[in-house]
Amino acid sequence: MPRRLRWLTPYLFLLPGGLWLTAFFVLPMLVMASISLQEGSLSSGYRLTWNFPIYAEVITEWTTQFVRSIWYAAAVTVLTLLIGYPMAYTIAFRGGRFKNILLLLVILPFFTAFIIRTLSWKLILSDNGFVLGTLKDVGILEPAFRVLATPVAVIGGLTYNFLPFMVLPLYVALEKIDRHLIEAGSDLYASRRQTFLRVTLPLSMPGVFAGSLLVFIPAIGDFINADLLGSRETTMIGNIIQRLFVQTNAYPEAAALSFVLMAAVLVLVALYARFVGAEELTRG
Amino acid sequence: MTEVDARELLDRPTSGLRRLVALGATMLLVAGCGIAGQSPTPAPTGTAGPTATVAPTSGSPSPTATAGGSPTAAPSPTQAPSPTEQPSPAGQLDFANWPLYIDIDDSGAYPTLDKFTAETGISVRYLEDINDNEEFFGLVQPDLAAGNPTGYDLMVFTDWTVERMIRLGYLEPLDHSLLPTFAANAQELYLDPWYDPGNVYSIPYQSGITGIAYNPTLTGREITSFDDLFDPEFAGRAGIFSEMRDTLCLTLLSMGVEPVTATIEQVQAAQQKLLEAAQRNQFRSDYGNDYYDALAAGDLAITIAWSGDISQMQLYDNADVRFVVPETGGMLWVDNMVIPKGAAHPIDAHAMMDFWYDVENATALTEYIGYFTPVSGVAEQVLEDAQTARDEGDEEWAAQLEVISQTAFPSNDQLQNVYTYPQLTEEEERTWNDLFNEVIAD
Repeated sequence: MPRRLRWLTPYLFLLPGGLWLTAFFVLPMLVMASISLQEGSLSSGYRLTWNFPIYAEVITEWTTQFVRSIWYAAAVTVLTLLIGYPMAYTIAFRGGRFKNILLLLVILPFFTAFIIRTLSWKLILSDNGFVLGTLKDVGILEPAFRVLATPVAVIGGLTYNFLPFMVLPLYVALEKIDRHLIEAGSDLYASRRQTFLRVTLPLSMPGVFAGSLLVFIPAIGDFINADLLGSRETTMIGNIIQRLFVQTNAYPEAAALSFVLMAAVLVLVALYARFVGAEELTRG
Repeated sequence: MTEVDARELLDRPTSGLRRLVALGATMLLVAGCGIAGQSPTPAPTGTAGPTATVAPTSGSPSPTATAGGSPTAAPSPTQAPSPTEQPSPAGQLDFANWPLYIDIDDSGAYPTLDKFTAETGISVRYLEDINDNEEFFGLVQPDLAAGNPTGYDLMVFTDWTVERMIRLGYLEPLDHSLLPTFAANAQELYLDPWYDPGNVYSIPYQSGITGIAYNPTLTGREITSFDDLFDPEFAGRAGIFSEMRDTLCLTLLSMGVEPVTATIEQVQAAQQKLLEAAQRNQFRSDYGNDYYDALAAGDLAITIAWSGDISQMQLYDNADVRFVVPETGGMLWVDNMVIPKGAAHPIDAHAMMDFWYDVENATALTEYIGYFTPVSGVAEQVLEDAQTARDEGDEEWAAQLEVISQTAFPSNDQLQNVYTYPQLTEEEERTWNDLFNEVIAD
């Protein structure tokens, strides 16, 4: 390449990714923004009227579902962290020869489609299925007890579906920790607990950060778990958007709602990054 | 001419003017994506489908914004391929239908479709993609509005959706010269319906009644009234439909209002009745087709249901469940076969449509799925099959067939007590939907 054009090189490298992002992210976002500001209907057509008040309308009408989705997603993140951290720790530090097999087991559910896995949970948790039914027959549970159609079922389903997204980044972060640092900790008279809290945990924060993002962001917009495992009281914002778009054909509202959700997630993630200290994370 | 260092060009700070130009270009882009809605009919000309890189100002006829800015918009210059110009079938058919709506044998094959292929040489790609009228409509609507092929040649939609699609211009008119068996065998009750006068765009596939299904072993008593759905005794074990029309219309009937004449105040009252029950957790959930599994498994004691499903359930999944038309009235619906605009194989679609009006094929369908048939002569044929079964010693199947022959066509009692859906304008539809969404989503 002639010297004059060397400066082009980084841009050429960015070109495939950039084009992909532009075509499949930027342009659809612009179209959606345009749709959200339109008014009209299927038969009379849509007109761009710069209808900004729709954002306020949409936020006030669906506040409950927004807040509920944020709560659920936060709960799911915390739960996957609590369950996933010991898993990742065990695989990284105690896995030994079985590391690969254990990792495979973690990923194995992904070989089945998301919906099928959630449907199977519906079967497992069904009122008189082999789990609850047996417990009811034995007498531990009363006959009217149910898990399906409660927030517990929805959060449980979400936790199950997103657990691998937490385990894998955590595993990577924990794997990378230099074992000598941990040795150094005990050399300096730290107990096992102290070593964990002051050496391992801080060093694994990049994994915690990445895992949390990978779980929180999709979980907040999920609608399948709420649809299959929940009831009308567990409706999440994803369900609302889906219903507005597909059933009511209220495209401007659905588009506006999607943008509000995106904005909310961006704000929350920014706050989280500030709290966890993202600059330090990127420093190797 | 001095050579300008390209790097310097890039490093120059962006002036205010440039920023303004960039902003303006983006605004034009956004506006261009939205300049739409001149005409509701998706009749794209050769220059239709503005690409997003040019700020389009020429009136693009695509009605919805989804067509607008999509850089991949491929406007097909569809003049509706008039079937009479292409008399020979293409040999391939993409058929979208509801689940449980065709006969299946034990190995999972479709014997009637195989028969069709053997007779006509047209191979059928059968897709049970339709779970809900609105959901499927929402799926194909963007393509239809943009004039793009949907990937389906033949679809089955309920009457009120057909009415809507006709109004929006999404359907191909039928060529009745290709439908001789329909002309010969169709029942009068189903000809020239309210939603498609003259059967220009659709012919009936199957028909049924929306009523109530219940499991007497779980309810402990017989059910005859729609209000039993609201009985606190069945709290948490009652089901309603996510289909707005079925649920709201049945509720309106239970309050003495005919859906066709219902005013907005009456609909609001019906919504209040449902909302009050939903808020005290009377309903386990709102269901589409999946109410079938819940009812068969015993999760539901009583629910809104479709007549033919319960016939099937009694035969195959749960013999206890019963279907009843509420005293205050049920809804009579007709599912119709339609051809969407831009279908790739319309002749094959016509062949399939006509195939279902042959008495033998219609009988095979009815014997399996148990819904009302629009084809005359089926009830007699079913009785003949019952006799054959009895001669062969299969008493059980013979008895079942005799029951089916009774339910192949609605009885006079039932016809007295069923109603049809109202024709709603876009605004009314929106209002009804918003009201109903409050019931099913908190």
